[in-house]
Amino acid sequence: MNDAIPRRRVLATMGGVAAGLLALPLARKIKNKFVSSGAPKDYDPNQHQWLMCLDVDKCIGCGLCADACKTENHVPGEPCYFRTWIERYIIRKPAPGSNNLRGAVLVDSPNGGRGGFPPASTPRQDILKSFFVPKLCNLCAASPCIQVCPVGATFDTPDGAVLVDPNYCIGCGFCIQACPYGCRFLSPVTRTAEKCTLCYHRITRGLKPACVEICPTGARVFGDLKHPVPDDPLQAFVRKNKVNTLKPHLGTNPRLLYANLDKEVR
Amino acid sequence: MPIRLFRMPPQIFRLVLLIFAIVVIYLVARILLTPSSFRDYGFYRGAALAENMAHTPVFAGKKACDECHSDILAKLAKDVHQTLACEGCHGVSRDHVDNPELKLVIPEDDTCIRCHEANPSRPAWFRQIKVKDHYMENHCAECHVPHQPNKVP
Repeated sequence: MNDAIPRRRVLATMGGVAAGLLALPLARKIKNKFVSSGAPKDYDPNQHQWLMCLDVDKCIGCGLCADACKTENHVPGEPCYFRTWIERYIIRKPAPGSNNLRGAVLVDSPNGGRGGFPPASTPRQDILKSFFVPKLCNLCAASPCIQVCPVGATFDTPDGAVLVDPNYCIGCGFCIQACPYGCRFLSPVTRTAEKCTLCYHRITRGLKPACVEICPTGARVFGDLKHPVPDDPLQAFVRKNKVNTLKPHLGTNPRLLYANLDKEVR
Repeated sequence: MPIRLFRMPPQIFRLVLLIFAIVVIYLVARILLTPSSFRDYGFYRGAALAENMAHTPVFAGKKACDECHSDILAKLAKDVHQTLACEGCHGVSRDHVDNPELKLVIPEDDTCIRCHEANPSRPAWFRQIKVKDHYMENHCAECHVPHQPNKVP
């Protein structure tokens, strides 16, 4: 019986292990207080509400935004990975005697519009009208992508961005299928879903998103609804334009607003 | 021996003990596996916000240019190119901000043409040229001042 482990010691060890495990989350929290992650410290998400608005009539299709987004966010260069891109809509004249106001609608986006747009394949005299539409995350208030995520890795922040938690995303791709606007992709580098973050690392430092910063015509307007500045560009945008959202019939309730949107834009 | 009012049968006692152990294991696992920042803002890991913030911005922004080149920005603000970002034509300038010795590339004609080449998809209000009909032998900056396009050089 001498080499038997005393009951008291077993109980003490078990108690110690349980107490240690229970103290672990607390220890982690204290560690996070002292180890800097590089994120701005004085930023409170509850004190902001960011919003972007786009004016289709001002977009000239130069592609600087799509280019800047890739540079800023280190998005893979292949032409299938975009957080923002530009689409060219060409609406042809109706065929004679067809009793239609408009002909076929052609949409293209060569390399996301990154290097500008080559001349259209449709001859000029056949074009009824044509325009560029910049696209990005529509910042839905009722996001399908958030609803389908099986691990809760994508979420709506209090300040109006829809973000992905790269540490929790398992790369299943449900959100990519769920997004009706095609705004997500599976990154070949991180193997997680990626999307427009509204340049979360920039807006929390007082900078504008890269695409807004670089847009030469002011087609993209960005601001904070909780801190309107004098002559607020967002308020002016809504006052001066008839605004609309993409695919309102889907009930996703996008916060992103478009001005001068044609009914053909999907 | 004390009198017991209710004597629990041993098989029931073992069952209660087992259920109690399962509940304790579940609660301990839940405390351990839930990230500490969970529910900081909502039903997700709050630390993910800080992780998204942690990237370093690439584009320096117009404000950074204004610190040294406020004279050029004042000129720019007077004319139609006021909406242009410096880095749209001059490229990413963060390295130049950190070390002014690193000079930026002077934009060439293709920078102008990228926006101003005639294209039926561009809005009608936007000034466009057909490059092949527009003084092909000259460079843009010989006749136009990029920072003040309406000014005659």
